[in-house]
Amino acid sequence: MRVAIVGTGLMGGVHAEAWSHTDARIAAFVGTAGAGGDALAGAYAARFVTDLDAVLADVDVVDICTPTHLHAEFTLRAAAAAKHVICEKPIALTVGEGRRMIAACRTAGVRLLVAHVLRFFPEYRLAREMTARGDIGAPAVLRLSRCTFRPRKADNWYVDPARSGGMILDLMVHDIDYARWVAGDVVRVFAKAAQTSGRPDETDHALAILTHRSGAISHLEGSWAYPPPIFQTRFEIAGAAGLIEFPGPAPAAIEMHLRGGEGSNHEVQLPRSPLHESPYATQLRAFHEALTRGTEPPVSAEDGLAAVHIARAAIESARRGQPVELDASGEAR
Amino acid sequence: MIRLGIMSFAHLHAEAYVENVRAIPDAELVGAADDDKTRGARCARALGVRLWPTYEDLLAQQLHGVIVCSENARHRALVEMAARAGVHVLCEKPLATTLTDAHAMLEACQQGGVSLMVALPMRFSAPLLEVRRVLDAKRLGEIFCCVSTNQGQNPRRHRDWFVDKRLAGGGAVMDHTVHLVDALRWYLRSEVAEVYAQTTDLLPGGNGDVETGGVILLTFANGVFATIDCSWSRPASYPTWGGLTVELIGQHGVMRVDAFRQNLTIYPERSPGIHWEYWGSDANQGMIGEFVSAIQERRAPAVTGVDGFRALEVIVAAYESARTGRPVRLTMGENR
Repeated sequence: MRVAIVGTGLMGGVHAEAWSHTDARIAAFVGTAGAGGDALAGAYAARFVTDLDAVLADVDVVDICTPTHLHAEFTLRAAAAAKHVICEKPIALTVGEGRRMIAACRTAGVRLLVAHVLRFFPEYRLAREMTARGDIGAPAVLRLSRCTFRPRKADNWYVDPARSGGMILDLMVHDIDYARWVAGDVVRVFAKAAQTSGRPDETDHALAILTHRSGAISHLEGSWAYPPPIFQTRFEIAGAAGLIEFPGPAPAAIEMHLRGGEGSNHEVQLPRSPLHESPYATQLRAFHEALTRGTEPPVSAEDGLAAVHIARAAIESARRGQPVELDASGEAR
Repeated sequence: MIRLGIMSFAHLHAEAYVENVRAIPDAELVGAADDDKTRGARCARALGVRLWPTYEDLLAQQLHGVIVCSENARHRALVEMAARAGVHVLCEKPLATTLTDAHAMLEACQQGGVSLMVALPMRFSAPLLEVRRVLDAKRLGEIFCCVSTNQGQNPRRHRDWFVDKRLAGGGAVMDHTVHLVDALRWYLRSEVAEVYAQTTDLLPGGNGDVETGGVILLTFANGVFATIDCSWSRPASYPTWGGLTVELIGQHGVMRVDAFRQNLTIYPERSPGIHWEYWGSDANQGMIGEFVSAIQERRAPAVTGVDGFRALEVIVAAYESARTGRPVRLTMGENR
């Protein structure tokens, strides 16, 4: 199996490393000139090109690690050439784009695998497995929190709502997908968002309450308002017969983090825990297996689309100050 | 010497308050009364408190103040009785189960010329006070958002009436919202303008009568928004009864306080499980001390019936929001 990785930034490098744990071969990296793509390609003995079309004939899979606003375009081009697609989360900037991507891949008879990597993080996966097999009874109240610092990058697409969708679609979408995976479909969303950086239109802290069809409630917190180098993820799932908490409660009565020194050189921080295999590698192994053996990965393109639906509903709710109801198909009413 | 009495042992906090009163040199616990004769006799004996046959008998003992620890829905009758007798009142939270009752209680205390304090001990919690000082020193800058939790085990393990809607007025929302509404009002120095809430009965022990979980999103008049998780989401095996946390997101940084995280972890060889033993300062002691000091100094206490009323307004709005699925606007003072 031969792969073209589109996008040579942080996630392009992370995916490349993860592919190296499979027997697939990275044939090419596709990126913009002068953005470090040559060096990355050199490290994996792959070609570096600036146009996907130049390598499409030479690959079986297109792995899209670009900023979010480019996911649809590259997916449609890959599908048109009958290539399988792996796409970073969120699947697309809008529900409409996501739907077109799914339709195009279905028509072309190729797979569309969305990299909601949280489903491959062992702590999240274990908690979901335990919940699904009834260890804590029906899930009732979920709390999911993901707090880090504002991404830093020369051409900062992360904080540009036109390219990333903003913090809720870029960051909170992880926990939106996870909440849905654990507690099922969402029927109502109410969210509030703040701009602590003082930059208008740049939500950097948001809270959302999701109401699931089952009657369960999820409390979501997403933040780019923490000082570097913090990347703190927490969750708890309270069920009818027990509670799962990760990590345990903080051991201190008071914790304070003030802005000051930069603390980290990373443009964004990825969560890290010592493991024999990184969740990114686990994810790509699952995707590789899906493509070579036709297995179903734990996350479908439709799951990716549902997460965008809910994220968009949260953004809309925060803008309007009203709850947004989602109907049976996940459509905003 | 400030002479105090306890009206009803229905609320389990009464036990702690007995010890708190005894720890104050200027205060004397004259006795208690309880409309439930069996419970009254049992608690009075266990705590070594003199039991008077009726509330009227207790109030006739030249008391300066009483601590009302009845079931939520029975606060009004006892507070009105004390107010008529000219005795200052410290009432267990929530102040009442309806705004009509709460309003009547404020009126009765005003007419009786007595002060009405509500048992909101978090104002006296050492970790929460530390945060108040950080805010006073403006170290976090402007606050944009708060995330707070007051989760606990289902209180029916202590007293059945907590899950009896007629006596408790509701479930987790009624039981576990007021501390944080009050703490947030105290931190933000602003009133709640809007309330959104979703509740669930999927957590066990609601008796089919009351909600066992809830998440509330408040928007304050100054624009700050905050969530409160009031769920009874701590199973019986949890190492303690529950907890209370507040996270603040500010201009210059973030801060998180846990009011009950000063614990030792105990791993017994034999008994059921791991548990925590609290070693932090006792917030209740500060609260009872303030009740006594306010009486001595002939001034209003630091936490008043109005604070209790504001917290109840939020609870009433939360139930309405959970029912309709829509946010409810509050206009300060107009919902009486």
